[in-house]
Amino acid sequence: MTRRWFPVAFRRRVFSSGGISVLKFHYWDILFLLKNPVSNHSSCSTMSKRKCGEQQLAVGECVSQVQRVLRERFCHQRLPHKPVGLESQYKHLLELLRRTAVHGESNSVLIVGPRGSGKTMLLRCALRELLELQEVKKNVLQVHLSGLLQTDDRIALREITRQLQLENVVGDKVFGSFAENLVFLLDALKKGDKSSSRPVFFILEEFDLFAHHKNQTLLYNLLDVSQSAQAPVAVVGLTCRLDVLELLEKRVKSRFSHRQIHLLSSLSFRQYQDVFRSELTLQDDFPDSKFSQEWNLSISKLCEDKSVDEILQKHYNSCKDFRSLHSLLLLAVSRVSVSNPTLRAVDLLEASRISSADSKGNILHGLSILELCLIIAMKHLNDIYEGEPFNFQMVHNEFKKFLQRKSHSIHNFEKPVVFKAFEHLLQLELIRPVDGGVCKVQREYQLMRLMLDHTQVMEALQRYPQCPTDVKQWAVSAFG
Amino acid sequence: TPRHATPSIPSRSLPARKPGNVLEEARARLHVSSVPESLPCREQEFQDIYNFVESKIMDGTGGCMYISGVPGTGKTATVHEVIRSLQQAADQDEIPPFRFIEINGMKMTDPHQAYVQILQKLTDQKVTADHASALLEKRFSTPAPKKETTVLLVDELDLLWTRKQNVMYNLFDWPTRRHARLVVLTIANTMDLPERIMINRVASRLGLTRMSFQPYTFKQLQQIITSRLNRVKAFEEDALQLVSRKVAALSGDARRCLDICRRATEICEHSGQKGAIGLVGMSHVMEALDEMFSSSYITAIRCASLQEQLFLRAVIAEFRRLGLEEATFQQVFVQHQALCRVEGLQPVSVSESLAVCQRLGACRLLLLEPSRLDLLLRVRLNLSQDDVLYALKAD
Repeated sequence: MTRRWFPVAFRRRVFSSGGISVLKFHYWDILFLLKNPVSNHSSCSTMSKRKCGEQQLAVGECVSQVQRVLRERFCHQRLPHKPVGLESQYKHLLELLRRTAVHGESNSVLIVGPRGSGKTMLLRCALRELLELQEVKKNVLQVHLSGLLQTDDRIALREITRQLQLENVVGDKVFGSFAENLVFLLDALKKGDKSSSRPVFFILEEFDLFAHHKNQTLLYNLLDVSQSAQAPVAVVGLTCRLDVLELLEKRVKSRFSHRQIHLLSSLSFRQYQDVFRSELTLQDDFPDSKFSQEWNLSISKLCEDKSVDEILQKHYNSCKDFRSLHSLLLLAVSRVSVSNPTLRAVDLLEASRISSADSKGNILHGLSILELCLIIAMKHLNDIYEGEPFNFQMVHNEFKKFLQRKSHSIHNFEKPVVFKAFEHLLQLELIRPVDGGVCKVQREYQLMRLMLDHTQVMEALQRYPQCPTDVKQWAVSAFG
Repeated sequence: TPRHATPSIPSRSLPARKPGNVLEEARARLHVSSVPESLPCREQEFQDIYNFVESKIMDGTGGCMYISGVPGTGKTATVHEVIRSLQQAADQDEIPPFRFIEINGMKMTDPHQAYVQILQKLTDQKVTADHASALLEKRFSTPAPKKETTVLLVDELDLLWTRKQNVMYNLFDWPTRRHARLVVLTIANTMDLPERIMINRVASRLGLTRMSFQPYTFKQLQQIITSRLNRVKAFEEDALQLVSRKVAALSGDARRCLDICRRATEICEHSGQKGAIGLVGMSHVMEALDEMFSSSYITAIRCASLQEQLFLRAVIAEFRRLGLEEATFQQVFVQHQALCRVEGLQPVSVSESLAVCQRLGACRLLLLEPSRLDLLLRVRLNLSQDDVLYALKAD
C-alpha cells in the first residue's frame, strides 16, 4: 500500500536493477534505499574499504594517528619509563623521598639544572615509582607549589592549607586570616611526630621566586619543620639558578640541608642522535603494523642521512636540552600529510630554518623601501658617529643627502611622510628612545638608538625582494 | 565556618619503619631534629642562663637577657634545655613555679602578631593585636596576689623591628614594671643588634645582660657527633675529624656538620655491596663534603653546549678588549660571530645568540639586564674570568 505513492522514476530504477526479484522486494529494504539513496558505484567502494580495513587503516587515518602519537610526545611532556642519562641523580632523589615516606625522616633537597633539563620530569618519575609501593601510597600527602602561581606567602599558605585539607578548610575555601593560617599550619605540623603522622612532600617549583618573598617566612618555616622533631616533611625545591643558595637568608640557609642534585647533562652527540631516533620511532602498540614498520624504516633511513646529521649537529651545538629538540621535531612532523606520509630530510631542513630564523631580519623583510632607506641612513649615522644616538632630523638630513646625490624622484617623499615611516619604525621597536621615551623634547628631536646590528641590515638588504640598486649601493658605500 | 578546628596532620595507616641496620640507626641519631638530653660543649652558657633565670624566679623580679650568635651554634636548644631543667626543679618544689612562653619572629606574619600570640598562650584568648596589647599592658602593670613568674623566649628578635619600635619597647618595658614578674630572653644572630637597630630608650631597657655563642671549634664539633652517635659504631675516627675540621673552618655550624655526616652514611650505604655494611670512611666523607661545598659553576660550564661555551669565550675576549668587566650584548655578539668563523661553524644570527645569552643568564653564569633592552643589554660574568678560563680549558 505504501508503494503506491512512490515516484515513477524510482519505481523504474528499482525494477530495472532488481530484475526478477523486484516482486519479492521487502518494505524495509525500500525504506533503506529511500534513506540512503546511494548509487551503485559508491556502495561498491565502501564495500572494498571495509574489506581492507581488517589489516590496515587508510593513509589519512594513519597519518593522523602518527601525528597524534608524536604530538603527545613532544608537546605534552609525557613521562618516559626511566629518565635518560640521569641514573645517579634519580637514585639519590628516589632514595631520599623513600626514606621520608617509609622511615619518617625529614629531608630537604634542591634540584638545580638549566631550563629544559628535565627537573620536573625527574621528580615526577620518582614520585610515580614511589607511589606504586603500597606502603607509601596511602601514607603520603603531597603539596605542590609553584613560585609563579604562589607569588606571596599569603597565597602560598592558603594553597598549602587547601591541599592538605586541614580542618579550617571547608570544600575548597580556606578560612581565617594570614596570621591565623600560619599559626594553624605550624600547630598542625608541630603536633605530628615522626612515627605516627603522615609524611608531607612539599614540592616547590621555581624555588628561587620563593626566596623573594618577604622575610622568606614560608621557606624558614618549612625548613625549620624539616629540621625539628615535628611531622615528617620533605621539602623539594626545583630551580634553574645555580646561585640559589646565595639568595637565602643566613638563618634559612642554615636550616637547609645543602643537598643539591645537579642536572647538568654531559650528553654526547651520539646519544643525542639516539634520542632523536627513539623520539620519532613508533611503538608496537600502533594500530597499523605495516604503516609503523614503513615509518620506522624511513626514520632509520633518515638518521643515516648526511644533511639530517648536519642539522642535528647544529642544534646540538646551540642547545643540548630535549625541549628544543622537541620543538624542532614538532615543526617537522607537522609537515607530514597524506600526500607525503613519511618524514623527509627536507621537512627537517625547513623546520630547522624556521626555528633558527632571525626574527629582526624577518621584520626588515616586511618594511617599505622608504623605511628601509631610513634604516640605512641610521646605519650610516652609527658608522660615522660610532654608535652615538641620533634624532629624526639627523636621519632625515642623511636621507636627503642620498636623494640629492642619487636624485630619483621616486623616493622624494614629503617630510611628514618620512616622519610617519620613522614613527612606524619606532612602533616596531627597531629604534628605541634613549631615555625610555618620557622626556618632554619634541618628537623630531628625541634621541634614538638603532636596535639592529650591522650584519642584520646587510643581510636583510640581500634578501629584500626587488630592492632598488641605488639603495643597495648607498647601503654598501662607506660614508653616506 | 570552622571556629574551633583542631590543627592536626592525619595519621598514617601503618607506623613508620624503625631503623634496620647500623647505618640507619646512626642516620636517625644524626638527624638535626633528634636533640640530645644535654648539649655537649655548652655547659658554661647553660650555667649562665640558668643562674640568670633562676635568680629572677627566686626573687620574683623581672629582667631581660640578649643572646646572640651565628646560626647553628645551639642558642635555642640551650635555652630550651635551661627551661627543661628549671621546670624539673619547679616540679620538685626547689623553686617557685613559673610559666614558659615562646614566640618566634619568623613564625609570625607581622611584628604586632607577637601580642596576639603571647596573650593566646597566656590566657587562651583570641583577640586582635591592638586589644591584645592593651590586655597585656593591664596584666603586667596591675598587682595580683599569687602571680607566678612568666619566662618569655623571643626568638629571631630582629624581625620584631618596626619603625616606631613599639613592639620591642613594650617587650623590654614590661619586665621593668614592679608587678610584672616577667623574664624576657631574646635571641638574634648579630652581636651588635641593640646598638644598630634600637633607639636609645629601647636599648637601655634591654640592659647589659648579654651573652654571645661562639661558633663551634673542631674539637667541639667532634664531641657533638660522638656524643650523638653514643656507642653506635658507624664512623671511622679520621672521617669524623675531617668533617669537623672542615665545618669549623667554614662556619662552625653544627647543623651543617650533622647533615654532612648523614649524607656520608648514605654514600657509604650505596657504595657497599648488598648485605655487607662497612664503616663510613674518609672517601665517603670526602665525597659528601665535595657534594655540599663545591660550587657547580665549573661543571655547568663544562656541560654547556658548544655555542654557550663560545659565547662565554666571546664575553671574555670582549672584556679583554675593553679592559672593563662589562659589555653590551652587541659587542659580545660581534666577537661571538668572529669566534664562530674561527671554529668553522655556521655564523649565528642575532636571535640565536641572544637565546644562548638568555640561557646562560637564566642559570646565572651571566648577570644580565632585562631582555627588552635587546642589543643594548649589558652582560657581566657571575664568576671570575679565571674560573671560566679554567673550565673551558680543562677539556
